[in-house]
Amino acid sequence: MIEVRDLVKVFDTRGQVVRAVDNVSTNVAKGEVLVVLGPSGSGKSTFLRCLNGLEEFDSGSVSIDGLQLADPKTDINAYRREVGMVFQHFNLFPHMTVLENLCLAQKVVRKRGQKDSEAKAMALLEKVGIAQKAREYPSRLSGGQQQRVAIARALAMDPKVMLFDEPTSALDPEMVGEVLDVMKNLAVEGMTMVCVTHEMGFAREVADRVLFFDHGKLLEDASPTEFFNAPKDPRAQAFLRQVL
Amino acid sequence: MKQKKAQWPWHVLTVLVLVGLAGALYYATSLMSYEWRWNRVPQYFAYQAEETQRATDISTVSELVRQGGSAQVTLRNDAGDEQHLTVDENSLQFAQGDDVAEGDVVGVTRHWAAGPLLWGLWTTLWLSLVSGVLGLLIGLATGLCRLSSNPTLRDLSTIYVELVRGTPLLVQIFIFYFFIGTVMNLSREFAGIAALSLFTGAYVAEIIRSGVQSIARGQNEAARSLGLSAGQSMRHVVLPQAFKRVLPPLAGQFISLVKDTSLVSVIAITELLKSGREVITTSFSPFEILFCVAGLYLLINLPLSKIASRLERRLAQSD
Repeated sequence: MIEVRDLVKVFDTRGQVVRAVDNVSTNVAKGEVLVVLGPSGSGKSTFLRCLNGLEEFDSGSVSIDGLQLADPKTDINAYRREVGMVFQHFNLFPHMTVLENLCLAQKVVRKRGQKDSEAKAMALLEKVGIAQKAREYPSRLSGGQQQRVAIARALAMDPKVMLFDEPTSALDPEMVGEVLDVMKNLAVEGMTMVCVTHEMGFAREVADRVLFFDHGKLLEDASPTEFFNAPKDPRAQAFLRQVL
Repeated sequence: MKQKKAQWPWHVLTVLVLVGLAGALYYATSLMSYEWRWNRVPQYFAYQAEETQRATDISTVSELVRQGGSAQVTLRNDAGDEQHLTVDENSLQFAQGDDVAEGDVVGVTRHWAAGPLLWGLWTTLWLSLVSGVLGLLIGLATGLCRLSSNPTLRDLSTIYVELVRGTPLLVQIFIFYFFIGTVMNLSREFAGIAALSLFTGAYVAEIIRSGVQSIARGQNEAARSLGLSAGQSMRHVVLPQAFKRVLPPLAGQFISLVKDTSLVSVIAITELLKSGREVITTSFSPFEILFCVAGLYLLINLPLSKIASRLERRLAQSD
């Protein structure tokens, strides 16, 4: 489904060169749930943002379903249609109601009619348990509700892959559960997912594979049982000692 | 505990200060023996225009019907041809049976006509409106060019903005009228509007640019990640939010524009200020007229800022 080959992303801020993603290769199979772990500044978010081209990488290749991201012939907007993304800070459009947030891209990008878009939006809002807020503006919703709307907004485009960039890090603790539940249901339904997160419980329970990053390098690529019980890399061992 | 103090004594003080200032002004003008003649002012807003009605041939007043302040006069010449005239009764010059020579004034009709100050106000209004709309369009395009990834667009828009903002509007108006206007054979109104809208456009461009840049990057990223193109993201997501944010400075810019139209009086466009100065030369009441001119500018601008703040409140409903 997703193929990443020798991915390199370098940040060069006034001569200070940081290799944020350093020669990373991996595959994600259809229906697989990948959890990306690592200390802050390890490059895991940058890696995720490279997967849908929000970050332009310096070398290597990323492809989804055979569609090459870096190929100049690839229409980046057509590519992104197939890749849903959920952000740490939700990034809902504050000037639109929840329903309009879900309908905008359906209408503008997928060229669906008003009725079809709204029907799809309502079905998804029902699914994430927030249909009663469809006519509200995002500012009237709690963080957990906003993040669930953001997930529904991404799903409205019928993506093949969902990317999650620390979806629960900006939430109050009591709201983390409702968002994780939505993500678990998605995983059960067979959605292909890549999640950058600090939720170890989620990683253990839902992930098919765990990637561990530090200083831009992919240090571990293992099943959750292997990773949590017997991490091979000393930095992964140190990381787990601190967070568990 | 914080004591809530009464506000009204301070408002009374405000009124006293204003009355004191007005008194001081009156005293100052009395020292220079200025005679206030406000009664002369209304005629420059609107007056009764008189239109004289003349006989077209040597004839006799054959019929005269007085009716409610006006008189219907029928003149008949030797050949039996009739001329019908309606004049104001109190201006009637002839009685029934009188002989009338060709070209004689039979009477006048009166009707209300707008005076020079109203015409000036009208000119100022449409100058502001046209330059404002053009300025907004130029500013929007330039603002987006400033943010473009294309270096040529960025350079050109930057040069335009810096040139216009770095030189006085008065100089720009002269350049447009005397130089560009002569070369391209422009009318004075065209030159004036071009100068005003290019001037406004440069400031609007900076307002739009800062507004767009103030919208969090995540908004654009969210839109792009849903598959919207850069243009679609700008149109549906970034600009609507930016517009809400730049409304107060935009309103300020348009209020400035209304006032700046007074500068085109130097290229002999008879807008409000020039009308006022023309009236002063015939009325010999400079202070009254200048106060009226200032008042008329206020009359345009106060509702403008009122509308802007109402619009701002309506757009704030999603916050």
